[in-house]
This record gives sequence, structure tokens and C-alpha cells, in this order.
Amino acid sequence: MAEVFLEAKGVSKTFVGVKALDNVDLTIGKGEIHCLIGENGSGKSTLIKVIGGVYRADSGSVKIEGRELHEHGMQTIETIRAGVQIIYQDLSLFPNLTVAENISINQMLESNQQTVNWKTIQESARKALDEIGEEIDLNERVENLSMAKKQIIAISRALTQNAKLIIMDEATSAITKEEVDHLFSIIMKLKERGISILFVSHKLSEVFEISENITILKDGKQIGVYPTSELDNDKLVYLMTGRELEYAPYIYNKKLAEETPLLSVEGLNKERQFHDINFNLQKGEILGITGLIGSGRTEVAQALFGLNKPDSGTIKMHGKAVDIKKPEDAINNGIALLPEERHGQGLFEEQSIGDNIVITILKSLLVKLGLLSQFKRKKAGDNWIEKLSIKTPTGDNPVNSLSGGNQQRVVLAKWLATEPDVFILDGPTIGIDIGSKHTIHEIIRDLAEKGMGIIMISDEIQEILDNCNRVLLMSNGRIIKEVEDSTTTTADELFDIVTRSYEEEAGA
Amino acid sequence: MNLKSLFKKNETYLLLIVIVFSIVITTINPVFMTWENMFDLLRSSSGTAVLAIGIFVVLLSGGIDVSCTAIAICGQYIAINVLIASGVDNIAVAFLISIGVGLALGAINAVFISIFNLPTLITTLGTSSLFHGALLEWFGTKAINVGNIPDSIKVFGKMNILTFTRPDGTQYGLSVFFLILVIIVVLTWFLLKYTMIGRGIYAIGGNREAAKRCGYNIRKIQFFTYMYAGLLAGVMGVMHLSLIRYSNPNYIVGSELSVIAAVVLGGTRISGGTGTITGTLIGVALITILEKNLVLIGLSSYWQQFFIGVIIILGVTITYAQNKINERKGLRAA
Repeated sequence: MAEVFLEAKGVSKTFVGVKALDNVDLTIGKGEIHCLIGENGSGKSTLIKVIGGVYRADSGSVKIEGRELHEHGMQTIETIRAGVQIIYQDLSLFPNLTVAENISINQMLESNQQTVNWKTIQESARKALDEIGEEIDLNERVENLSMAKKQIIAISRALTQNAKLIIMDEATSAITKEEVDHLFSIIMKLKERGISILFVSHKLSEVFEISENITILKDGKQIGVYPTSELDNDKLVYLMTGRELEYAPYIYNKKLAEETPLLSVEGLNKERQFHDINFNLQKGEILGITGLIGSGRTEVAQALFGLNKPDSGTIKMHGKAVDIKKPEDAINNGIALLPEERHGQGLFEEQSIGDNIVITILKSLLVKLGLLSQFKRKKAGDNWIEKLSIKTPTGDNPVNSLSGGNQQRVVLAKWLATEPDVFILDGPTIGIDIGSKHTIHEIIRDLAEKGMGIIMISDEIQEILDNCNRVLLMSNGRIIKEVEDSTTTTADELFDIVTRSYEEEAGA
Repeated sequence: MNLKSLFKKNETYLLLIVIVFSIVITTINPVFMTWENMFDLLRSSSGTAVLAIGIFVVLLSGGIDVSCTAIAICGQYIAINVLIASGVDNIAVAFLISIGVGLALGAINAVFISIFNLPTLITTLGTSSLFHGALLEWFGTKAINVGNIPDSIKVFGKMNILTFTRPDGTQYGLSVFFLILVIIVVLTWFLLKYTMIGRGIYAIGGNREAAKRCGYNIRKIQFFTYMYAGLLAGVMGVMHLSLIRYSNPNYIVGSELSVIAAVVLGGTRISGGTGTITGTLIGVALITILEKNLVLIGLSSYWQQFFIGVIIILGVTITYAQNKINERKGLRAA
């Protein structure tokens, strides 16, 4: 390995009885792209914060360029002066300020000046952007920019501070595949300039694409450090989760199909959102819909669930046209939707797990005088907690006490309780780590095998191909391709189709 | 700045409303568009504008201050009482006392808000009542009539920086209050644009957590913000006193909502981080014209409250709609 830049040794950190980090080592060479990978709760964030001086480790040391700046860790400002910059997932930008000011703000504060020189602000912002070959209007407000541009600004800001190591925490969670590629090209430029990168992620494909070495954490312990070339997908998954996760293609049981399709959508239109959407769904099918953000896939899902009124078109259940104006109509017709944003749309986070599950079926829990039966309520909640093996000591605990994967199971339970015929899942595994993701896929497959019709919407083409028997590709509000049998195609092929159509539209 | 970016700004629309409104009033009552009336409006609204600038700065920082009217009346009433009791007849002393009171009470707000981390609305609602109650208890409730007001204050209230003579020989002019307003506008603009503490106010209003992470001293910024608002309230207290030449400890308090309305109307976001002084001044102008001129066009003064309500809701709706449109654009860009 080249010269060592950062060396953390034997770092341990305990929070109220929970061992978040247990004797963890991490070594990053100069100009190295290192990846820190692990499931949620494996200790990635804690380790970053120890390096950044936000937390102080209980024991162990962090050395930068051979120099230990502080026992058991450093002060935030010391780390910054030593050349370590952390770009948190939320990017820590100021939406109300201009691009120039956002880039230069740390430098301004660092120089301890009392007054502001706008010329210097513009110049140093321009310089930082030039270094990575980017062009963004310096006077635009950050709130008007896309997520990808915001990321570039966060990186530029790190550069104004003479960063020697940039830590990127889940940098790709909110940007599209193309933007990820662009980000990676910037990372390569930084590497050429001798800057080290610590890339924190749980997306395996990206880790393989960009990193040279991988440090794997699991339950606060370091599982190992491997050169990326020595690992493959299966091995990495095994190391992260301790399980072997395999995907057999989903084979749709044609015997379940009926003469009239379960759901048919005919000529669904909504101005500026989607056009001429036609498709059928049979019992037992898992139909995948994919496309870039803004392709109209979420809007169509919302239209089927009564959240987004289409301008024209027909929705038929069991061959009969149904009128869906609001979610209640959808539920009564046997349609359920698992929304894209679990936090905003799916859950009451402070309320108990049990109450969250039964919220969709309160009417069925009523007894005499229209009062709620506490007994029935508890029984229904516990029933689903068991069926979906939600990890909690009791259904009375609040939802926010659960991990992301378990929260998602609560949302699933909530909609399954309505006993839908058609279940639409919009981004069912966003932000969920790989082990839980697999469990959720298993639940979905199981439901389909029992005869439910599933529509699964996702960015991740691989996820769609692994789990769906049929795939629709959307772009700019239209279905541009239907793949009858998902085993006949590859993710790369579909990705090409999607991006080509996107570029054609953009060029037009 | 080109024409296109001009039409993206809230201020432009607001200014158009003010102009249209002024034309309407002038056609009904030509007296409106005279220098004399304009100067008179400036004189009587400068105090409100000063108060509004203080609230503007607090809103920028992501907070709100409903106690500034209570602070203003405390400054005014304590200053006039001290002046009368001590026999000192000097406008500068009046300003110094009132500003001192304003800074002290602003600091009390800041203690609760930045050290105990209390929510700003509840804190200032509480201190507003606390300040005013303490004033009435310790300094009395007696109004002070024009006869007892020291001369220097009355003279100051009539002082003009520009004087014109009417055909009949009497005079009118541009009040010294306008000069005070100009000084405060320039000072505030400079502080916000060219000092680190001013940029810090924008920063904590935009993203407090990020401001903390990149090393801003949030406590210091909050102390500055609330004390600055207190200072401006102190200035306004004495301006108000010399304008009406009468001091009643129950005046000013209660007008805070229409001042906040003026600021929000001027495009300052109630959630913090965004807004301009120009917008604030136009907002004050609009509210003032409404308050003073509905009578001129023959409408009862009750309509004034009604129209202020209509304009606030309209203004907020426009801002909200614009944000929605921007959001959509942002989504498409992403």
C-alpha cells in the first residue's frame, strides 16, 4: 500500500450499554479510495463521527499522517485542520444562500475575519469548482439546485479547506444512476490529486465500481479488510450479513391466472405526468415498473390508489370499471399502496407498532355502539407482528424504536391487513440494508404465490429483474417497453433502453 | 440585473400593488399624491419601519419576536419618566435610556432562547407580557400629557431635514425621522451583507445544524439578533414619543402582529433564512397606506383590518405558490 494517511486502531465506543464500536481498525492510504460497508446499525456512522471528532472514543487511537492529535480521538476543528472533511448524508448546505457562499463559508469562518469580502468568496468558489472541472452558476441559490449539484457543492466546499481525506456518508442515496457515474468521475479526479476518499455505502454495485479496498463492519465489529478485487458480490453479502442470499428468478404460476385479468388499466392519461398507460395484471404476477425519477411511475401508482386523479382512462378490477377518487375507494376495491416515502406517507412514527398496523382496518375492529375493541385490536396487531416476524418485544413500542427494515415490515403489515387483491409497492426497499431487503422480497414473493397481484416499482433495475416475472419500462410518462419474461433480458440492456430514451427526450 | 430576474422577485409584485393602490387612491382623492402627504406618511410610518427591520432580522435568523412592541413601550415610558424625574431635557439622553432598556430586554430574550433553548414564539409571548406587566407595576399606568413632555422631545418631533414653504407662507418638510430610518436601513444592510455575524444570521436561519457543524457560534449570533431587535425597539419608542408628544404605557403594545404581517408580506420567510430589507420597507409602506388612507377613499376604518387580512393571505398564497412551482422545477432538474 502507498503511504498511510489515516490509521484508526482499536477504536471502541459504547452508548448507554450498547457497544456501537468494538475494537475497530481502519487504515486509509494517500490517494486511496477506501470503502466502509456494513448494514444499518453496524457502526459506520459512529466510526465516521469518531474520526471527525464529533464523538470521543472510549479507547483506541486515530492517527493522521502518523500524528496522534488527541488521546482517543480529536476535536472537530483539529480534524478539519489535519485535512479531514466529512460530507454527511444531508450535505449540511444552506438552501437560502448562494452557491458561492456555500462553498466558501468554511474558509471564511476558518480565517476568523469579521467582515465579508464578496470578491474573495466568488474567487475561491470559482477556484474550487474549477479544480473538479464543474460549472455551476455561483449566484444561484442552493435550494434551486438538484441533489447531484448540491453534492458537487459540498465536495467543492471540502476542497476549499485543503482536504486530504474526504469522507462521503451515503453519498449516492438520493441521486440517479447517471449522477452517480458523474460523481465517480469526480472522485477519480480527486484521487489523481492525491486526495483520499472514504466512501460509506451499503450499495454493493457502487462499492465494487469505485473502491480499491473495503473495510466491512458488522454489529460494531470489524469483519475484515479486503482488496476489492478479491471479493465478489456473494462473498461480500455473506461477510456483511453472515448469510448467503440468493435470488432465483420469480416464476409466475400461470395456473393462477383467470380469464379476466385482476386489474386492467386502459388509456390512463394525466397532463404533464403520464400518457396512454395500458397494462394488465394477473393474479399471482409480480409486475415490475422501472424508469428514472420523473418518468411518471410514482404518479401512475398514486393514480391507481386515488391520490392523483387522472384526466382520462379506465381502471378495471376483475373486468369491472371502478371509480377511484380517493384512497378509501381504492381500499374498498382491493387495491393497496405502499408509498415511496415511508416516513412521510406510511407511518405515524411516535405511535405504537400495533396501532400503526390496524389503522387501515379500524372499522373491522368495532364492537357494539361503534366502540373499538381493545382485545381485537391487540390480536390483529400481534398477529401481523408474528406473521412478518417484526423484531420487537411488544406491539406497544413506538414505530421509531424499530430499524428501517422492521419499519418497512410494519407498513407492509398495515396494508396487508386490508387483504388487498392488488398490492402496489413503490420503492419497497429504499434505504433498507441488504439483509432486510432480502426478507422483504421473500414476503412479496410469498404473497404473489398465494395469488395476490403485485406491482413493484423501483429505481434498481436489478431488484426488479430479480423479483418480477414481467417488466414495464417508463420514460417521460410513457411505457416505452414491456418485457414479457424477465429472464430473457439483463439489467444492462434495460438500463441502456431507459437512458437512451431519456437522452433522446432531453435532446429533443 | 435584467428585467427577467426583476420579475422573479416578490418585491417587484409588491411594489406594483403599492403603485396601483396609490393610483386608485389618487384618482379618488388627489391629495394623496402630493409631496406634503408623502412626507407626512413617511414621518408617521418611520417608527413602524424601524420596528419592522428589527423583526425582519429576527425572522431571518429563523426566530420570531412578538415582544418588540412591549420593549419599545418600556424604553419610551422609562425614558420619559427618568427625564421628567431628573429634569434633564435632552433628546439624546432619551434615546440612550430607551436604547439601553431595549438592549437589556433583548438580552433577556436571548438568554431564554439561546441558553435555555426555548422556542422563540413562546418565549417572546411570555417576555412580552412579563416586560409590559413589570413596566405597569413599577413605573405606573399614568399617561403623560403634552404639557409634561420635555421640550427637546417636542422640538425633535417637528424637526425637518428639508423644508418647503406653501403659497400661504406656512411650512412643511421631510422629517428627521426619515433620516433615522435611512441610517438604520444602511446600518442593517451593511451588517447583514458585509459582516460575518450578519452572514451567520442568514446561515442559522437557513440550516441551523449545518451552521453549528461548520463552526458558527450560534449563541453569539442569537444574542446579537435579539439585542439588535431590542435596540431598534428602543429607538422606535422615542420616535413614537416625539411623534405623538404623548406617552401612554398601554400604547404600541398590540400592534406587533401588523408589523410582523408587514415583514412577512415583504417576502421574508417565516421559516427563516430568506428576505430583504427592500421587501420589508415595501411591506410597511403597503400596510401604512392601508391603515391611513382607506378613510381618504371613503371607506370605514373597520375595512382596514379586513384588507390587511386579505393582503396577508393573498401574499402568503403567492409566496407558497411560487415555492411550489420552484419545487417542481427542482424535481424536474433532478
